Amino acid sequence: MSALLEARGLIKRFGGLLASAQFSLDVAEGEVHALIGPNGAGKTTAIGQLAGEIRPDAGSIRFAGQEIARLPVQRRVRLGLTRSFQVTSILPRFTTLENVMTVLLVRSGQVFRFFAAVRRETALREEAAAMLARVGLEGRADVMAEDLAHGEQRLLELAMALATGARLLLLDEPMAGLGPVESQAMTRTLLGLRGGLTMLLVEHDMEAVFALADRVSVLVSGQVIASGDPAAIRADPVVRAAYLGEEA
Amino acid sequence: MTLLAEQLLNGLQLGVMLFLMAAGLTLVFGIMGLINLAHGSFFMIGAFAAAWVGDRTGSFLLAVPAGLAAAAAAGIAVEMGVIRHLYARSHMDQVLATFGLIMFFDELMAILFGRTPLLASVPAVLRGSVDIVPGVPYPVFRLTIIVVGVVAAAALWWLIGHTRLGMLVRAGATNREMVRALGVNIALLYTAVFGLGAMLAGLAGLLTGPILSVQVGMGDSILITTFVVIVVGGVGSVRGALAGAMLVGMVDTLTRAYLPTLLQGLMHASTADQLAGGLSSMAIFILMAVVLLVRPRGLFPAHG
Amino acid sequence: MVDTRRQAVVLLATLALLLALPTLATAMSMPYLVTLGSQVVIYAIAAASLDLLIGYAGLPSFGHAGFFGLGAYVVGIFAFHAADQSRFLGLVPGSTQAWIVWPAAIGVCAIASLAIGALSLRTAGVSFIMITLAFAQMLYFLFVSLKVYGGTDGMGFDSRNTLAGIDPGSDTQFYYVCVAALVLVVVVFRRLVRSRFGMVLEGLRQNERRMAAVGIASYRVRLVAFAIAGAGAGFAGALDANLLRYVSPDALHWTMSGDLLVMVVLGGVGSLYGAVYGAIAFVGLQSVLSQWTEHWMIVLGPILVAVVLVARRGLWGVLGGAGDGRQG
Repeated sequence: MSALLEARGLIKRFGGLLASAQFSLDVAEGEVHALIGPNGAGKTTAIGQLAGEIRPDAGSIRFAGQEIARLPVQRRVRLGLTRSFQVTSILPRFTTLENVMTVLLVRSGQVFRFFAAVRRETALREEAAAMLARVGLEGRADVMAEDLAHGEQRLLELAMALATGARLLLLDEPMAGLGPVESQAMTRTLLGLRGGLTMLLVEHDMEAVFALADRVSVLVSGQVIASGDPAAIRADPVVRAAYLGEEA
Repeated sequence: MTLLAEQLLNGLQLGVMLFLMAAGLTLVFGIMGLINLAHGSFFMIGAFAAAWVGDRTGSFLLAVPAGLAAAAAAGIAVEMGVIRHLYARSHMDQVLATFGLIMFFDELMAILFGRTPLLASVPAVLRGSVDIVPGVPYPVFRLTIIVVGVVAAAALWWLIGHTRLGMLVRAGATNREMVRALGVNIALLYTAVFGLGAMLAGLAGLLTGPILSVQVGMGDSILITTFVVIVVGGVGSVRGALAGAMLVGMVDTLTRAYLPTLLQGLMHASTADQLAGGLSSMAIFILMAVVLLVRPRGLFPAHG
Repeated sequence: MVDTRRQAVVLLATLALLLALPTLATAMSMPYLVTLGSQVVIYAIAAASLDLLIGYAGLPSFGHAGFFGLGAYVVGIFAFHAADQSRFLGLVPGSTQAWIVWPAAIGVCAIASLAIGALSLRTAGVSFIMITLAFAQMLYFLFVSLKVYGGTDGMGFDSRNTLAGIDPGSDTQFYYVCVAALVLVVVVFRRLVRSRFGMVLEGLRQNERRMAAVGIASYRVRLVAFAIAGAGAGFAGALDANLLRYVSPDALHWTMSGDLLVMVVLGGVGSLYGAVYGAIAFVGLQSVLSQWTEHWMIVLGPILVAVVLVARRGLWGVLGGAGDGRQG
């Protein structure tokens, strides 16, 4: 498998704190890769650098063969690298379908059309509806986004990330704030997206991580200390000592 | 170039006035998140009250406290009656309601004092001139304005930096919840800050009265200049208000003084006069545009 | 839920009333109502363009009179140079033809608002309010200083711009031109807010951070909206100069920006229709109160404060039954 995303030797310092210390990671095309680690290990900083919101002090990031470490967020989105947020971020006064349509519009690049009624554009509606179907929200298309249940809003957010045309999704704690039933629904949805889409998942919910991930990387003190398939990671004595808090 | 010293003092004097206006406005924005168009009304009220009392009693010493008290009282009444219901509202609502207040106060002054400008007289002690540089006389009253303004600015500095009220004001600007958690009566604090701002505007008004004419609407044009000051300095920052006020005061005064002469060297005299008149009234806005290009958040942004 | 049938009935009734106004004015022998009606309709156009900014783009502009007055001055300046056969800046000849002058007014205002918007949109929120106000005031001082065009006093001109088939001397015919312009502007703006552009604009208002994360260039979208709104105000200004056959810096004065804002909020933000009712209410209140007392502002001021504090939906919200004046 070739790597879709390659981060090499990322260093990011905040004052005295070294949030990324030679952070390196490979995400292969088509895999679901989970990044786990204790609080304060630098997961958010790592995602921020990959998405383009935080500029690394040193190191390189290659995406689909192109160096992107210096590109702004918008350029990375256009290349197919999109993130989701820990805190739900949607357009509350649009319907579920309109939320996705808006993203599709931006992606199309044809924003400056002033006269034709956008809500009657059949092709756009159908494409948006297809995105909703992929996350299981097809029955909620005409509900105001602010009226959706919290779990549904998280799914909508996922649909919006898909609508950007992402090849690689950076999922920042997609289970955050979800109850057990909603978590399971989200896990099922993400499982359904496997294959066509590459995902890098930061998550605390270990049940979800081990259900979803093809590979797991463990981040401690800004550095990946181990990478491997879930069973190997579970068994790795170093990981157990450093992270799972068990005696080896 | 002996004129230059005089013009620099004029610029300083305008800057001081603008700072007195801008300080209150920017504090109220920084702490309460409120944009108040009616701030110019307190300027006008201070000027009218002082001019009227001065005219009736012939005493400048009575006129000053009258102007201050009237402006502060108006400020406190407005805060308690209207403004405190606007803190949680959108800026648009705040603009609209305080626009209504301007109409009210302008018309109130017209009813009370008529539309003909009042003449506020300069007290006898402060009439006449002194030589600032040998051979260059400068009006004593204008020097007094500068001194009073500088003293007021220093007092405000001390108030914010070294008193309990100032501590609360600074804390309130960064973290409203924390101040509330300290058990401070927020409503009272806000009223006090608003009243203080109104009083400073009133001070600027009563000092300006004898130089300009005291008339309905006098607060409106200085309000817009004050906005320019705040944008140039950085919204919500008292330090920025000081820098912005000095810069705007100087630019406005110096372009008005020297632009006609400069342009006359380049073109026909009457064309030069016209162009200079137009350019110098627009100079501070051009200054604002340049600052926005270079530093969109102003010279001294309040946070970060 | 929005009651679309009720809204349609209210709108049709309003249009019928506007169309019948000249007849009613004659019947009641109050011919001045036609001029007053033209004023209302012209303000409604300007207010609708401001609502596009406030209600849809989320840009609280307090300098809209700058473009309104600029549009008026374009008409005045064309008339001035047509009258004495001279050229503006030695280049552009004067004209009294509506089909030249009105598009010119719209174009000049679009360009001016592109320039002012390019600077103002570098900031947001309360700074944006102050900066738009300040730039409009700069335009005000510009025209005050232009002694050629009357300076503070402004300038009058003999007749309205000529438009094929319309008698420029007839107040009633000019009134109908204004009503047609209002319908045109409202229809165009309604389509605009429902277009691709409108959807992205509205999305930016709701959640700018989200839109940035999906890759939108928000600055450009907002700048275009600002220019369109400025052009709309310029059109209204051009009509206003025609109505009065007079232009003065008063048209650009900051209180005019305030008045337009009052109309938008009085009518209901974020519907475009609200502008019509806001303009009717504002001009109506003004003329009723000013007949009653010369100090009418002392009544209007507190009414405004009360409207802001108490009645938040605006007239269109009440008449059209739209929940909060939005999505109407």
